[in-house]
Amino acid sequence: MAMEKNYGNPSLEAKLKDRYYYSDDTNRDFTKEVEKIGRTIAHMCYQCGTCTGSCPSAPRSSYRIRLFMRRAVLGLEDEALTDPDLWLCTTCYSCTDRCPRDIAPTDVIMAMRNLAARRDIVPRNFLKTVQAIYTTGHGVPNNDVNRAARVKLGLEAEPPTTHGFPEYIEGIKAIIDHYGLKDRADKILSEGE
Amino acid sequence: MAEKKEARIGVFVCHCGTNIAGSIDVEAVKEYARTLPNVVHADDYQYVCSTPGQTMITDAIKEHDLTGTVVAACSPRLHEPTFRMATKVGGLNPFRFEMANIREQNSWVHMHDREGATEKAKDAVRIAVAKASLLEDLIPKSVPVEHAAMVVGGGVAGMQAALDLGNAGIKTYLIERSPTIGGRMSQLDKTFPTLDCSQCILTPKMVDVGRNENIELMTYTEVAEVEGYIGNFEITLRKKARGVLTPDEAEARGIVGGGCNGCGDCVEVCPVIKGNEFEFEMAPRKAIYIYHPQVVPNLYTVDFNTCIKCGLCVEACGEKKAIDLEMVDELIKVKVGTAILATGYDLFPIENKTEWGYKKYENVITGLEFERLICASGPTGGHLVRPSDGETPKKVAFVLCAGSRDNTGVGKPYCSRFCCMYSLKHAHQIIEKIPGAQPYLLYMDIRSFGKMYEEFYYRIQDEGAKFIRGRVANILEDPVTKNLHVFTEDTLLQRPIDLEVDMVVLASAVQPTTGADAVRKLFGVSCSQDGWMLEAHPKLNPCGTTTAGVFLAGVCQGPKDIPDTVAQAEGAASAASIPIHRGEVELEPYFAQCNEELCAGCGMCVNLCPYSALALVEKDGRKVMEVTEAKCKGCGTCGGFCPGGAIHMQHFTTPQIVAQIDAFLLGGEQ
Ligand code: SF4
Ligand code: SF4
Repeated sequence: MAMEKNYGNPSLEAKLKDRYYYSDDTNRDFTKEVEKIGRTIAHMCYQCGTCTGSCPSAPRSSYRIRLFMRRAVLGLEDEALTDPDLWLCTTCYSCTDRCPRDIAPTDVIMAMRNLAARRDIVPRNFLKTVQAIYTTGHGVPNNDVNRAARVKLGLEAEPPTTHGFPEYIEGIKAIIDHYGLKDRADKILSEGE
Repeated sequence: MAEKKEARIGVFVCHCGTNIAGSIDVEAVKEYARTLPNVVHADDYQYVCSTPGQTMITDAIKEHDLTGTVVAACSPRLHEPTFRMATKVGGLNPFRFEMANIREQNSWVHMHDREGATEKAKDAVRIAVAKASLLEDLIPKSVPVEHAAMVVGGGVAGMQAALDLGNAGIKTYLIERSPTIGGRMSQLDKTFPTLDCSQCILTPKMVDVGRNENIELMTYTEVAEVEGYIGNFEITLRKKARGVLTPDEAEARGIVGGGCNGCGDCVEVCPVIKGNEFEFEMAPRKAIYIYHPQVVPNLYTVDFNTCIKCGLCVEACGEKKAIDLEMVDELIKVKVGTAILATGYDLFPIENKTEWGYKKYENVITGLEFERLICASGPTGGHLVRPSDGETPKKVAFVLCAGSRDNTGVGKPYCSRFCCMYSLKHAHQIIEKIPGAQPYLLYMDIRSFGKMYEEFYYRIQDEGAKFIRGRVANILEDPVTKNLHVFTEDTLLQRPIDLEVDMVVLASAVQPTTGADAVRKLFGVSCSQDGWMLEAHPKLNPCGTTTAGVFLAGVCQGPKDIPDTVAQAEGAASAASIPIHRGEVELEPYFAQCNEELCAGCGMCVNLCPYSALALVEKDGRKVMEVTEAKCKGCGTCGGFCPGGAIHMQHFTTPQIVAQIDAFLLGGEQ
């Protein structure tokens, strides 16, 4: 267990915080849970780096899929679920394509996101996307610029989706309500205000 | 056969420390054995295989006038010979012993069910006693061993094994399918960690092989058929049509002073140009060719797949009359006592890992291609150049574990074991030869486990090679410069990297050579899950196979570097020479016997026998079946089939097997 320090100075404390990894930081159930949800052998990662090397997000951000794999192996639950980088995966599956241990790192990330969501840890933009889908059927709804571009291309201003057939939005709402997703999103967003 | 008397069986139950006693009530099993029919004595002991344990058996045989013994202990694979010997020392025929396996098949698998395990042990003992009561005296058969051996594969493993056998005074046939011996080692430039020139240390050996009077070197020859058994293998070889006569062959045809002398006059005139396989097609050869100037034997070969039979070479050869364009394959039969397989390896087709661009990007090459390009006798005279433009590369990336340690199904799950070291050597070579060169080794782990290997790693790092710990994710080519961008994560920096280099060398995984499977099957050798040939025991019998008289040397058994390959070759040669020097081998007397009175001569068993051990013969005016005992492996196929019950399987007789089944089903009640 990490040692508490007290310098009376938060930035100094952050800089000098205990960085040891202690064996009781490991939660073996976390590894199992991730494997159960992700349906992949996360504990077999040998840290080769192929995943990060394949990842389009890595060169543009601090996100390192391999680090999350390490956390999965070691059961570092808090570290994995509270790291905001968890939400920088594009789910392109490049890493899954190439992992020599035949692991699906993408699915590990998805599992961890699920577990984070259980703790109400979800970035606001993801939650707003939920709201957008709930009301329009689209994560990225149509807008005036798009409409103009469509018309210029000889298309209808609205695509043949829930935009063109708003009567189907009710169905989408029903699905989202079934999982209580919208209410969760609203709740978390309002708490964060 | 001993006179028939009432069976008197002694049972010995082993504790094997706690291996058996930990999960089986040994005392209860012993007491139970005492109640079984024919059992006149039962005992238990800590370790029955120990000297006092064995003495217990020999004493009991004498004291209780036993006719058979049963030991309930481990697997017969381990100690059957031990207890047979004890039974023999006690004065019985050694085949009057039966083993009940209550360890591997019982205590170890039922560790948490003491009661169930004990009951199962009682069953096993009861069944063994039933058989032991009916066992007969058997006399093993000795067969003479042919004073000759065969080595298949003429790489460094096969050459070393053949030299050892030849020097031990054994006539040895060294079979090589390509036109020259030398194998992979002759394609290498330098060898790690000593940096000896590979050809320089190998050619003296090649010459020795060619000169050794006990070695009959047969190149451009393949094994076509294998018959027989240890001591007496009859092997049919296919001597492929080579189109060229040796001086001896020429003389046999009455051409005095003729035959190929390696002058090469024919090459000049041959109009057909092909890629030279030895140089991975980076250099040309003609349809009549040698791989390189140091071939053994120094003999040309016609590639009949491309030869247009214009006859120009025949003219150029002139009076030597060495070339025969009408030559055909020849089948040759030889007899040997033992054989060594040394078929070596190929590279895994690394283009299957499409993300690395081999065969798509010109400047991505394999480690073996690098060897040829850096070798003074190679296609570029030892100048490493980029295939795309002939420029000397400065920045070179070496991709380790290319296709090794890979569980995706495209690639090999095992470590290929010598790529780390040769990549270090490659790094050294470019630093040495190219001013300002910068090698990058992209690795997961550097495995430098051999003698002076870690020191070599230290040296190469000191020379300036850069090590990046990350497995390569993918490689992209700049279409204009033909430079390569190598993508991975520097896992130690925790940053993705885009490394632009002039050339990439893939340390490709290795796999059994094409044709190895066919050879292996001809000799009845199995392979392990990874495709390499299977040794008899991974630790205690790494050169042997489960086929008596057949041994393994070199990479055909699993990836190895040169020192390990040569060591295994010497081990295999030593093992293969033992039966030959003894002059005879004992065969287990488990062969089938024909009861001629019952045999109807239908002959249906003859074709069933997988070892061709059976034949119909005329006896007293009628046909009966006859067994060639040395060929019979006792598999029982014929015995189980014979409609007349005329076949007697020694040691597995019908009464014995029925008694075992009865003993099991009746639960011991008579
Ligand atoms: S590619 Fe696979 S084995 Fe390699 S670090 Fe990523 S998850 Fe682990
Ligand atoms: S799936 Fe996610 S982690 Fe994997 S490569 Fe794509 S963005 Fe990176």
